[in-house]
Amino acid sequence: MIKTSEIDKPLILAMMALVAIGFVMVYSTSYIMAMKRFGNEYFFIKKHLMFIALGFLLFFIAANVEYRLYKRWIYLIIFISLVSLIILTFVHSISSEAGGARRWIKLGHLTFQPSEPAKLAVVIYLAYYLAAKKDKIKTFSIGVIPPIIMSGLFMLFILKEPDFGTALTLGAITIIMMFIAGVRLRYLFSIFFAAMPIIYLMVTRVDYRMKRVLVFLDPWMDPGGAGFQLVQSLIAFGAGGIWGVGLGEGKQKLFYLPEAHTDFILSVIGEELGLIGVSALLILYLIILVSGIRISFKAADLFGQYLAIGITMLIVLQAAVNMAVVLALLPTKGLTLPFISYGGTSLIVNMTGMGILVNIWRNRET
Amino acid sequence: MIIPYLKFRVIIILLSFVSIFIIIFAKTVELQVLERDKLKAKADNQHLKTMNIIPMRGSIYDREMKELAVSMEVDSIYAQPFRIDDAGKSANLVAAALSIDRKELESKFTSKKSFVWVKRQLDFAKAEKVRKLNIQGIGFVKEGKRFYPNPQVASHLIGFVGVDSKGLEGVELGYEEYMAGTSSRLIRERDALGNEISLGSLRQESSKGSDIVLTIDKTIQYIAEKELFKVVANSQAKGGMVIVMAPRTGEILAMANAPHFNPDIFFEYKSPNIWRNKATTDAFEPGSTFKVFLLAALFEEGAARADDLFFCENGHYSVADRTFHDVKKFGWLNLTQIIKYSSNIGAAKAGDRLGKERLYRYIKDFGFGAKTGVGLPGEVGGSVPLLKEWSKVTIGNISFGQGMSTTGIQLLSAFSAIANNGYLMRPYVIKRILNGKGDAIEEFRPSVIRKVISEETARRVTNVIREVTKTDGTGVRAAIDGFEVAGKTGTAQKPDFSVGGYSSDKYVSSFIGFAPADNPEIAILVVVDEPSGEFYGGAIAAPVFKEVATQSLAYLGVFPRGMGTTAQDWNTRVKGAVGYPKDRIAKSLYITQKEPDSLDWERKDFSHMPDFSARTVRSVLRLAREVQIEVRILGSGKAVYQKPLPGEKINHGQAAEVWFK
Repeated sequence: MIKTSEIDKPLILAMMALVAIGFVMVYSTSYIMAMKRFGNEYFFIKKHLMFIALGFLLFFIAANVEYRLYKRWIYLIIFISLVSLIILTFVHSISSEAGGARRWIKLGHLTFQPSEPAKLAVVIYLAYYLAAKKDKIKTFSIGVIPPIIMSGLFMLFILKEPDFGTALTLGAITIIMMFIAGVRLRYLFSIFFAAMPIIYLMVTRVDYRMKRVLVFLDPWMDPGGAGFQLVQSLIAFGAGGIWGVGLGEGKQKLFYLPEAHTDFILSVIGEELGLIGVSALLILYLIILVSGIRISFKAADLFGQYLAIGITMLIVLQAAVNMAVVLALLPTKGLTLPFISYGGTSLIVNMTGMGILVNIWRNRET
Repeated sequence: MIIPYLKFRVIIILLSFVSIFIIIFAKTVELQVLERDKLKAKADNQHLKTMNIIPMRGSIYDREMKELAVSMEVDSIYAQPFRIDDAGKSANLVAAALSIDRKELESKFTSKKSFVWVKRQLDFAKAEKVRKLNIQGIGFVKEGKRFYPNPQVASHLIGFVGVDSKGLEGVELGYEEYMAGTSSRLIRERDALGNEISLGSLRQESSKGSDIVLTIDKTIQYIAEKELFKVVANSQAKGGMVIVMAPRTGEILAMANAPHFNPDIFFEYKSPNIWRNKATTDAFEPGSTFKVFLLAALFEEGAARADDLFFCENGHYSVADRTFHDVKKFGWLNLTQIIKYSSNIGAAKAGDRLGKERLYRYIKDFGFGAKTGVGLPGEVGGSVPLLKEWSKVTIGNISFGQGMSTTGIQLLSAFSAIANNGYLMRPYVIKRILNGKGDAIEEFRPSVIRKVISEETARRVTNVIREVTKTDGTGVRAAIDGFEVAGKTGTAQKPDFSVGGYSSDKYVSSFIGFAPADNPEIAILVVVDEPSGEFYGGAIAAPVFKEVATQSLAYLGVFPRGMGTTAQDWNTRVKGAVGYPKDRIAKSLYITQKEPDSLDWERKDFSHMPDFSARTVRSVLRLAREVQIEVRILGSGKAVYQKPLPGEKINHGQAAEVWFK
């Protein structure tokens, strides 16, 4: 087992604090809806508690698995991730659909979201590949083509679900990791500019994405219709003020905010816990960011360094995007708030990632 | 191990994220601090569904805290359609109970709205019927409804409220902001589906409006109205007014207008004119009563003395293109006689002697041509021609009250200055304003506008106008046994704008006076508009003055001196004479305890109810006098029951009732 001296304490405390806040807030946001839909106010929170337990289990396993082993298992990891995405896409009998998107695989009573572990798989792959090819990283054929193809393949399947937000996040993490590994800036800019028209087309060709962008540009344009969710989110923040209306006292979760317990949980935190609550969250994510980078700097090898950065990005980037969305700084994406939102797979994968970080820290250079 | 280049790039990423976090924080501050109020209002707006319900309006009391207008809590019925299971059946039941249209009700019950009124301001019995039906989705709230306990009393002064309980006339209109109460509402919390949130229940936030205490005395008001309606009926007059004032303070004790209207059914009167409190809103030519002010100016200026003689031209006196007439042909009259017999020609000549500048100045000083600020809506100031427009005829005209106009309240206020040692008081009808707890938030006190004439002049004027009610004076029918009355009659032809002069058959008969002349307690103006047949002020208005003054003085406990009469005898006489309302008997007895010349009628805070049981009427009355409470005697024999019960504290202004058997 792990000795406390071997743990990066701020990182773990930050994670535990976020999970605890998440637990309370998922209950606060879901109990009325759970009551209404399932006649059981504990419907969501019970499942969430189970995911937290599972998350901690995987966190401990990952913290004890020598991270260098992933290099050896890399193609198995990639294979399993891709297969699960393919199953999701083509075998409809065991996948489930919600809101026009096919993002979940059903295993008995449980459902899980293959795109979440897939992100972690791609991060492990990129860390492995970029570290292995560090000498030829500045060439186009070695430094750019293979990672883009691998990443692109995953993004393609994720887009097929469709899950535009997750695909874009994956793309952004890929670019960040390549940037850190030393890929030439001009290549990165080229990729970026090449991606722009594709993104543009994908947005403008799909009605709801276009609508989301327009709503983002002016949420108050149609507050009762397309802008409803965003406007309600802003109202929630305003209602909370500095100190918040008090835990459980929020009104916006009462069907004003769709997905109050998942994607828009920050709005309810803003309403119930106020600016104080939101600031606390920002600080906790900042601690994870700084700790993750510190672990990266201390890692024993280049793979560990890249992996630490990648996992940190996975969490912090998603947190930043989610917050920016609910605050109307970015168009709506459909991403959860790491450690906080209801959503089992995301929570478990993120906690597994934290376990890997702990392991990198334990094996650090001394 | 780490190459510096990589570290540099990691730090760029770190800084980028820190910047992003700062932006997120800034945006949060913008929403939660800077734009908070705007967003909070939107949040409240969608969570709270607000229904305006009619608040409990403040009461209007007379000076003795007797209720003149009150709001009572009545039931209003509403429905929340989404909670009603069987709209058709429910509509049938409710429509039958309330005798209202079933179809209309059913469409309300099936509407998409989250809240509809079924019927507002119901009487208790009907509300109870619906309550017994016990239908889900039907709710009750208490709303205020205006009641006028004595709709026949002071209706012009009090005014009335509309269907929404907003003041439309009179004190109800003028003091709306005090009496309305804060907008009271029913608050329901809703979720996005418009459903009532189970967490929050119906909340009612309401606060009663402030109470208004008038200077009016309900009894004197009653006396004034009774006598006014009597004279208007007997003389088949178009209308009239009686105003009673306490000359030393400016408090209005009564303000009666005829014809009468019932504020409960104000909308049934064809012309809004009937609602107007003409004592303050309509100006009229005063006629001879105005000669009193000429007299005051002459004395104050030393321009004439009471025994100065003027030749009255045997009834015809031509000035420029006009000829002034007197009712009788007079030769030489002194100034006292000019007033006593009301010679227009004598007044015109006296006015001439005073000169227009001085006459004008005194008219303005007495407050004519300017609003008094009595505190009632719609007051007008009357009109006095500008000095530069005065011709030789104008002086004559104005000297006997023609060619200018005044409201009743102005005339009586100015006249009261003579009764009040020359001090012109601001007339007022609002004594105090009480908040919901009964504490005074505003208190109105007597205020002097200016000193118009000296005490000496006031005394000399009084001595002259005492003569009016003696032996062969024009106002002899205003005389009261046992008191000296100072007053003046007025008989004014009404201006007829169709012929550009004065009507030959339309008169305004008036009498203005105060009593007792040597120690004035009340000043009264009586105006009868267009009486038929007899039209002289001395014949029509003076007797009304006599009745109102006699009864009011008795009620106030002001008794004649040196006549050997006891208070009790006086009371008996007066009661027998004018038919007091029953509850006034004990009241009069209470009043006998007071100093006759004191105008401070405020009762001391009395303690608790004594035990009256088994006492005789006489004994109860004596005990009541001792503890200074007002009792109403019901029945005869021995006291068997009383309200309030022995030992209970008595509310201010509440009369005790004692039953005898």
